[in-house]
This record gives sequence, C-alpha cells and structure tokens, in this order.
Amino acid sequence: MEKRIRDIKDRCLEKEDPFCASACPFRLDVREFIGRMQRGAFNSAFRLFSNTVGFPAIVAALCDQPCRNVCPRGRVDAPISLNLLEKAAIAYAANTGPNSYNLPPKQGRIAVIGAGISGLACALRLASKKYAVDVYERSGRVGGALWNVLDSAVFLEDIRLQFSNEEYGLFLDHPVLDIGPLLEKYDGVYIATGSGGDSFGLGREAGPDEGIPFATSLPGVFLGGSLTGATLMEALSQGLKASLCIEDFLKTGEMRSAKKNNPTRMRLAPGAIVFTHAVLPASGEQYSKEEAAAEASRCIRCRCDACIRHCGLMSYFKKFPGRIAEEVQITVTPGTLDGDGTVATRLIATCSQCGLCGEVCPENIDMGEFLRAGHQAMHEKGAMPWAFHEFWLRDMAFANSSRASFSAPPPSGEKCTSVFFPGCQLGASDPRYVSESFRFLLGLEPGTGLTIGCCGAPALWAGDMALFRKVCETLLENWRQAGCPRMILACPTCLEMFSRYLPEIDCVLLYDVLAGAGRPSPERGDGTVVSVFDPCAARNRETSQQAVRSLLREAGFSLAALPYEGKIAQCCSYGGQINIAAPKYSRWLAEKRSKDGEHPYIVYCSNCRDVFLQAGKPVRHILDVFFGLNGESAGPPAYDERRKRREKLKEDLVRKYWPELEEPGKEGAMDSRNVLTIPPDVREKMNGDRLLEEDALAVIEQCEASGRRVLDPATGHCLGYGEIGYMTQWVEYAPSPEGYVLFNTYAHRMKIELE
Amino acid sequence: MEEKTKLMCGKCGVEMAPAPTQFSYLGHVFRTEVLRCPSCGQVFIPESLARGRMAEVETILEDK
Repeated sequence: MEKRIRDIKDRCLEKEDPFCASACPFRLDVREFIGRMQRGAFNSAFRLFSNTVGFPAIVAALCDQPCRNVCPRGRVDAPISLNLLEKAAIAYAANTGPNSYNLPPKQGRIAVIGAGISGLACALRLASKKYAVDVYERSGRVGGALWNVLDSAVFLEDIRLQFSNEEYGLFLDHPVLDIGPLLEKYDGVYIATGSGGDSFGLGREAGPDEGIPFATSLPGVFLGGSLTGATLMEALSQGLKASLCIEDFLKTGEMRSAKKNNPTRMRLAPGAIVFTHAVLPASGEQYSKEEAAAEASRCIRCRCDACIRHCGLMSYFKKFPGRIAEEVQITVTPGTLDGDGTVATRLIATCSQCGLCGEVCPENIDMGEFLRAGHQAMHEKGAMPWAFHEFWLRDMAFANSSRASFSAPPPSGEKCTSVFFPGCQLGASDPRYVSESFRFLLGLEPGTGLTIGCCGAPALWAGDMALFRKVCETLLENWRQAGCPRMILACPTCLEMFSRYLPEIDCVLLYDVLAGAGRPSPERGDGTVVSVFDPCAARNRETSQQAVRSLLREAGFSLAALPYEGKIAQCCSYGGQINIAAPKYSRWLAEKRSKDGEHPYIVYCSNCRDVFLQAGKPVRHILDVFFGLNGESAGPPAYDERRKRREKLKEDLVRKYWPELEEPGKEGAMDSRNVLTIPPDVREKMNGDRLLEEDALAVIEQCEASGRRVLDPATGHCLGYGEIGYMTQWVEYAPSPEGYVLFNTYAHRMKIELE
Repeated sequence: MEEKTKLMCGKCGVEMAPAPTQFSYLGHVFRTEVLRCPSCGQVFIPESLARGRMAEVETILEDK
C-alpha cells in the first residue's frame, strides 16, 4: 500500500508546472497571473509579476517570450500573448511602485561584483530583506549589457524605482581585481561580472543536476549571470536566485547552488483546447483593459487533469489522485490507535473500479485498482462498514445457493464442448435473456451445458478476497468436472473476472457468438437511431464491441456514437455496487450517464440496462433486439421480483431440459405456508430501501413464534423486529386469513443490545 | 406508528414506557432512552427515530 501511494504521488502530473511557466526563466506562476488578469485584477496581477521578476519594466520590455514556443494554443490557433498581458498589468495597475518593508536590519554583509542586471537583482532582493549590500562596478554606470539593447530611460527609471525604498552601497569605477580582500570584509559575495568578465579563477563546482548561480569552492561566494553565458533574462533571474543562495549560506553555512529548472512533465487531456481567435490590440501596441481580459480568458491555465475531467468520482468530489492517495493512506493506516481520521472510508467504497481513469491518464495511473486494494485492506482490518456491501453479498449468496444456481451438462447427453454462464443478474433482469440464449446456443452447438451463478464480483468489490477466492474455486471445480469446456459468458463483468482470476478458462462473450451465427434478428430497426452504451468491463473487448454494433446494423438500426465508448467506456454507476455507501453520488452518476446521448441506448450488460431503466432512460438489451423481446422498454424489476425470477428460471429450465435434476427442497428457501400481503405503496417503499418480502415474513414469523412484539391498540397492528444478517428490520403487520398483511417495514444498522 | 400513541407490550400487556437501552454499531456502544416494556424489556423503535437520528448517527460512525 505504501509503495502504491508513493508511486501515485511520484507519477501524478497534477502538480506539474504549465508549459509556459516551465519555459519561463522566472517560473512566473502564469496560472495565477492569468486568473487575476481574467477578472481584471490588474493591481494584484502586477504585484505577482513584479515580485517574480524584480524589474517589471525591464522584463516586460526585453522578455523574448520562450512561453510562446511551448504554449499548446500555438498548435490550435495562436499562443497566449503573455508579454502583452504583462505590459497591460503594468499599464493598468494603480500602483506600480515597489513595496516598502519595515524590517529590522539583518546580520550579514554581502558584496556584489558587477552592477549589470544580474548583480542589481541580487542586490535588490538582499537590500529589501535589510542585509547590508555593497555593489562594485568597474565602469562608471549601472546597467551593464542593458545599455546595448534597451533605451536607457526605461531601465534606469526601473532600477531607480525598484531601489527607491532600499539603502545599499554603490561603488562605481571600482574594479575588483582580487576577491581575497572582499572575503575578509563580507560574509557573502555574488560574482556577476557579465559576459567575458572576471571569474577570479573560480570554476564550476556544482554537480550536473544543479542550476545557476552555482556555489564556488570559496565559502559564501556564488557565481552567475551573463558571465556563465546566460541571456539577459536568465541573468536577471539568476541574480534573484543568487540572493536566496547567499541567504541560505548565511543561515545554514551550506554552499548550495540554485536548483536546476527541470522541464515540466505536464500532459494535456486531448480536446482540452477549443479554437478561439487571438486577441490583437486595436491600438497596435497595447491591450485595452477589455482586450487584456479577453486574451487572458483564452488561456486554459494548463493542468494535467484528464482524470478529473473524465472520472465521475474525481470530478464529483473534486479530488485529484494525489489527494485521494493521501486520504486513503491516513484511512488505511491511521496515525492514532483509536482509528480517528479514517476520512476516506466512504470514498473507498464509492469507486466503481471501472478503469477509465487509468485509460485517460497519461501515466496510466489506475485509481480504481488502488481503491480496490484500499478496500481490501480496510476489509481485512474489519474497518469497512458491513452495511455498504451486506445487501449485495446476501444477493450473491442467494444467486449461488441452490435456490437460483445450478450446473447441468448438455441436455442432449453429448460431450460438453461449451458451457453457457449467464451470470447472476441476467435472469433477474429478464429470465428470457437466459432461456432464449440457451435455446439458441443449443441450436448452434448441442454440446452446450449450463451453469447459473455469480462470478464473485460482489465479494471482490466488497474487498472480501477470501470469499471471492472461494467462489472462484467453486467455478473452477465445476469447469474441470465439466471437462474444461469453453465458457460462453453473457456478462462483461463475469468475463473481466474470469480472464483475470481464472485465466486457464477459455471464455467468449455471448454477443460474439450471436454475431458469428449469421442469423438475422427478428426485428427490423428501419433506420431507428440508437447509441451503444459499452459497459466499462468491455473497454478492452473490441471484438465484442464490434459484434454488438454489427448485430444492430444487420437488424437495420442506425448508430449514433457516444462521447464515451469503446476504450473509454464509462461505468453506468453499477460497478463496485456503490449505491449503498454513496446513494446521492450513485444517482447523480446514473443520471449523468443517461444524458450522454440523446438517442435510446442499446446495452450488452444487464446491470447497465437496469440502471438506465431505473433512471428513466429508454434502453434495450442487445438480446431484446436479437430475440425480439421487450419492444417497449420494460420497467426496472424490483429486488423481490429479481429473486423470484431467478428461482423461477431455474425451475423452468430444469423442468424443460433436465427433469431428472428436480429437487424436493431447497436450501435457505422459505417453507412458510403463510402468504404476506403487501399494499403497492409499501412494496415500492421496500424496494427503495432494499428490504425483501421474504425477510419481512421471516421477521413476522419470528415475532409470532417468540411473542416478542408490541401492540398498537389504536390500529390493532403488531410491531416487532428481527435481525436480518447484521441489519435490524422492523415490521408493522396484522394477521389475515392467508397469513399476514404488512403495513410498514423499515430497518436500522444499529444493533439493539438487550441486557 | 408515532411515539405519542400508547403502545402495549404484546407479551406482558403492559404499557411501553421510555427506558435506557444499549445499542452498538461498528464497535461503538452507547445508551439512549427508547420505549420499552417495563416488565420484559421488549423494545420499540419508531420509524421516525430509525430514519432520523439513528440514521444520522450511523452515518457519522461510518465516516468516523
């Protein structure tokens, strides 16, 4: 876990500088500068610029804009005119004077050799921090190489203005021939003697990873500027950095060169830039305030944010991978013994683990895998609330119990060459999806057997690896007993589980088989436009994606692409079974996914189908089209109905194909003769709360058997509770001739501890 | 189902009355007053409590 967290933090590019700032000698915080310019905050934009560059007028006049060459807008329309924006900040800021800092004088005397722009920058920063600074210049004027490139009125005025609040010693016509005497008098020295100037025999002592100015072999002596071959802007920036190196030396006694500017590793998400025209100054030279704000608004303030743009979880909770990794770290390994600070428990249980983040991330960081590992760690510690997954684990237990699950050889008695494994939810969604598919597969290949059950995904999603492995072992054993046949799977999640955890089993998706059968669909789409909503578990199954599309085209449907499909398919919200831990987010996600496309969806995952039915989105399963079922969108099946359908499916299939397998009794089944009558409004409420009819009846019968119940004389109803798994379920009921009438039922997670 | 209605214990025929009761969730144990049978201790939790304050505390404990 620790290693994974470090890996995410190292690889995540969220905190990388934008391209412009990376190319800028001053590493101007362009994102912040642009933000201030966008809202017309010229004063604060100017202050940021001025504080970063030291001499704003000189930099605005001379900057050769390396940012323009790297601005990604340059490849779409035109790079941002940062230099014109800097000039606008200077022009429209109300106060362009330097700040005056009322600080006490500091210990430490510093000599600067050379009054060029690099030496002056170093002197300015140190003087403003109230160190005693003396500048030695061999000529009779300040400015050095600036005289060759810029109107002296501009730079002399900027130098005068920036030093106007500071005191420092300036010694013109004062060449330094020997550095020795300076070392006796001063605690630190910055050598900035300009291009071709004297380096006093001091070579570069810094390592290749260190930047300029660099620490020389003499304590307290640093060297930088045009002397090292730097351009004027680089020289200025090095002077600013030299002040930090010297101050670092004064405080710690360590000789450390400036840090090298490493190029940014930033990557932009595809499609991040939309074409806009560059804003040109109407005056020809300078932006008006409005033009400056408009040009600033063209800047997208580059950030590597593909994950947060595309992932529902990260965009909803506004958390980048680094932040999530930190929160998971303190949750899984809390700093205090009582476990305080487990801030991400719910977040861990909110990820659909769909893999989209890893697909869109330039570094392929898959946060779903990471959160799955976090989930497992929390489960192992017993720190994941049982309530988040209990309902679904009970559903898995039901699906794998003899009430719904069975495994049978080919009805023809032939050697088993394939086994159809529809998974646990396909029959719950619509039993005909299973029965029709099996009938069709038998027609293609009489040696097809049938296994109905769950692949174990709910256990994996709950972080319960022991349970998951147990399910896998049973599946593997059944497969071996069947003679290691090919498995035909209907659920893309099952395929994901099988290919990853049971790689020895040869699997194929049902839809590939249907597309290869060459049988026309009974339906004619007649050009009806639909969109295929690829399930997230099939993002790497291009053959299956194409199989479904070819089935639809052959049936006469027209296809409209969705923004997210194929490789970048999104989860419908079912993945991870997050809807108990995060009901609001889960609903938000399902609604968002429903609105991705305006046309009806065709899905090939029954969970996608049921999620979209619940969200009111017109949707059909590809099996509806292939077998001519559910012409009009059916309603979403309630949880009680889902159980009943699966039980009935087993009964019907066994009766039809394997009458000899019929069992007298079933494990865990209700053998009650009582009929529970439930008014429709109560039934609807129960479904919303995931409370099952059979559990309500079991609680009533417990109450009746034990006599532990409360009577409400006003209504004549009985009230009682029972524990269903970990949950406590209450029932309000009255006896009826057939059994009972249920008037209300509700549940809580807290356990009543009877003394 | 509201608390104000008089409720009788189905076993003892006695009127239910508020009494301290112990609850537990995720390793946390706490006591609060709910309706109980003064004779056999049978508990009653109305829906308003289960969906209201109890659900709030459950969420707090899950996020703790």
